[in-house]
Amino acid sequence: MQKKGEMLTENVVFIILNLAFFAIIILFLFLKMGSAAPIEEKYAKQIALLVDAARPGMLISLDISEAVEKAEDKDWPLEKIISIEDNVVMIQLRDDGYYVYSFFNDVDVQVSDILEGDKIELKIK
Amino acid sequence: MNFLIKNKHGSEKLLSVYWFAILFIVAAGIVYMALLFYGIPYDVREAEANLLLNKVSDCLVQNQYLNNEIFLEGFEETFLEKCGLTFEVENFGEWKDDQYYVEFFIFSFDDTQEKNKGGILTGAKAGEFHLRDLHSTKLDKSPFGIERSFYALDESNVMYVVEILSIVNKEGKNVR
Repeated sequence: MQKKGEMLTENVVFIILNLAFFAIIILFLFLKMGSAAPIEEKYAKQIALLVDAARPGMLISLDISEAVEKAEDKDWPLEKIISIEDNVVMIQLRDDGYYVYSFFNDVDVQVSDILEGDKIELKIK
Repeated sequence: MNFLIKNKHGSEKLLSVYWFAILFIVAAGIVYMALLFYGIPYDVREAEANLLLNKVSDCLVQNQYLNNEIFLEGFEETFLEKCGLTFEVENFGEWKDDQYYVEFFIFSFDDTQEKNKGGILTGAKAGEFHLRDLHSTKLDKSPFGIERSFYALDESNVMYVVEILSIVNKEGKNVR
C-alpha cells in the first residue's frame, strides 16, 4: 500500500513539473510575441525608407493600425507614437523603450495626427 | 519475478531522467529559436543603399541631361548639400555620423575601351571612406554596398559614362 502511495506522489510531482515547464515555455513565447519592440523597429525603418524615397512636395499616407493597437494595449498616448526630429524617426509605444532610425534625405517632414482608419500623413517639405 | 519488478522500477526512474533531459533540450531549442526570430533586426540596408544610389543618380542627371554643376570646381565639397543628402545619424553604440559612403565618377565615352570607359573627367566622394575597404572584404557583417554604371548625355549630346557606389553600414541595427 505504501509503495502505491509513493508511486502516486511521484507521478503527481512528475506531471506538475511537466506542466510548470510547458507553462513557462508558453509564457516566454507569449511575452516575446506580444513585445512592442519589433513593431517599433518595423515602423521606424519603414518611415525612414519612405522619407528617403520621397521628394519635396509629396504627401505620404501610412497605415499604422498595428502600432495604434499596441499603444492602446500599453496605455501609451497615441499622439506620442511618432516623432521626427532633424533626420531621425522615433517610434515609441511604451514607457520603457523606443526605437530610432535615421534617414539620409535632407528634407523636413511634418507628421499629421492619427487620422481615420489609424492612418498618418507625412508631408515632405 | 521480483528481479523484474525491481528492474522495472529502476528503468522508470531512469526514463524520467531522460524525459527531463529531452524536455530541457526541447525548451532550449524553443527559447533559442524565439530569441533568434525576435532578436534579429530587420535588415533594410539593401533598400537604403539602393535609395541612396537613386538619389545620387537623380542629382547627377537632371531633366534627362547630365548636371553641368558636377564639372565645376569645388563641387565635391558641396556634393552632399547639392544632392540634398545628410549623413548624420542617431546616437547608437559607437556610431559617429560615419555610417554612409557614396562616390561617383564621370568618364568620357570611348567605345574602344573596356566598359566604354575613357578618361576620368570628374568625381566626388562623401561619407566614411573606411566603409569602402570594409565593403570589399565581403564578410557577413560587411557594410552593404551597390555599384551602378550608366550612360548619360549632356545638353550638347556628348555621351559620358557615370559610375556610382553607395554603401550603408548601420551594423547593430540591421545585422548583429
